[in-house]
Amino acid sequence: MKNKPYKQQQGDFEIRILKNGRVVMITPDDALMEVAQRIAPENPVVLYQMETKDNARKSAE
Amino acid sequence: MSHKQIFARLKSAEKAIHKCNLCPRRCGIDRTRGEKGYCGLDDNIRCFLEMVYCGEEEQLNPSHQIHFSGCNLRCEYCVSAEWNRQPLRVKELDIDKMAETIALRQNKGVKTVNLLGGEPAVNVYGILKLLSRLKPEIKVVWNSNMFYNDVVEDLMSGLIDIYLADIKCGNSECAGKLLQAENYLVTVKRNILRAAGNGDMIVRHLILPGHSECCLKPVLRWLAEELHEVKLSLRGNYAPPIPAIYSPTEYLDTDEMQRAIDFAENIGLRIVK
Repeated sequence: MKNKPYKQQQGDFEIRILKNGRVVMITPDDALMEVAQRIAPENPVVLYQMETKDNARKSAE
Repeated sequence: MSHKQIFARLKSAEKAIHKCNLCPRRCGIDRTRGEKGYCGLDDNIRCFLEMVYCGEEEQLNPSHQIHFSGCNLRCEYCVSAEWNRQPLRVKELDIDKMAETIALRQNKGVKTVNLLGGEPAVNVYGILKLLSRLKPEIKVVWNSNMFYNDVVEDLMSGLIDIYLADIKCGNSECAGKLLQAENYLVTVKRNILRAAGNGDMIVRHLILPGHSECCLKPVLRWLAEELHEVKLSLRGNYAPPIPAIYSPTEYLDTDEMQRAIDFAENIGLRIVK
């Protein structure tokens, strides 16, 4: 493995997949949170995020 | 606080960055003329990320995070270092547009506006401009490393609803190596004590794997002695930098997290999620 970070430039994403299968997202933005929703929909933060988005959508309608 | 009072503080903030003394680095440079000090900022404010996030402490969520570029620490394990080491590469913030975005997000049910970075303290001049355009009832979170001079607290007191105050290391040696700030602790402890009298506070400690005796325990003992009622947030989301020179190379495991929680509870601290 190269000893250099993947996330070097401003705007780069960084997702790490650890040996034990854990997925780590570094400084998630909206786009990474959407990825998280796809791969870990049961994660408490993701669940709350989805619920909040739904509420926002309803209140905007 | 009225907009007129904020404008008065804005003048003081402008004065402070003419010969910048916002933080203990005391660079003394004139940021209004584009001179660069340790944080690398001029007199403009730059935002590299704004989003609604639900991973903050429960009382803050959903929280509207506004990340400003530029920082006065150089934490080796910083997860947004690429934004903070070259802050001027980020586009200047359109303050009026951001004020509109904040109002929009508030209307959609966001609970708090979360000012973070980088470090908000070194962006205090631009932050005051932004706050002058917001409705006073909006709940403002100061999500800071707390490494700043009294002038920043003077400028911000009364404008902050919740201090989300970091305390990172428990001794000067670790602070010197990991944060490039040997004088970190004395400053941060003073600021936390002062800010605790000015608003609601959550003290946040990111647990560094293997730093239980040198960092975690001294920090928690100090809190138990000085601010035993304070809300404590123990964060277990440390991510090792690549490469890591001084920083831990492992992620925190559940045993070490649990030991930290047990220690905090045994000395009477109140942990919040």
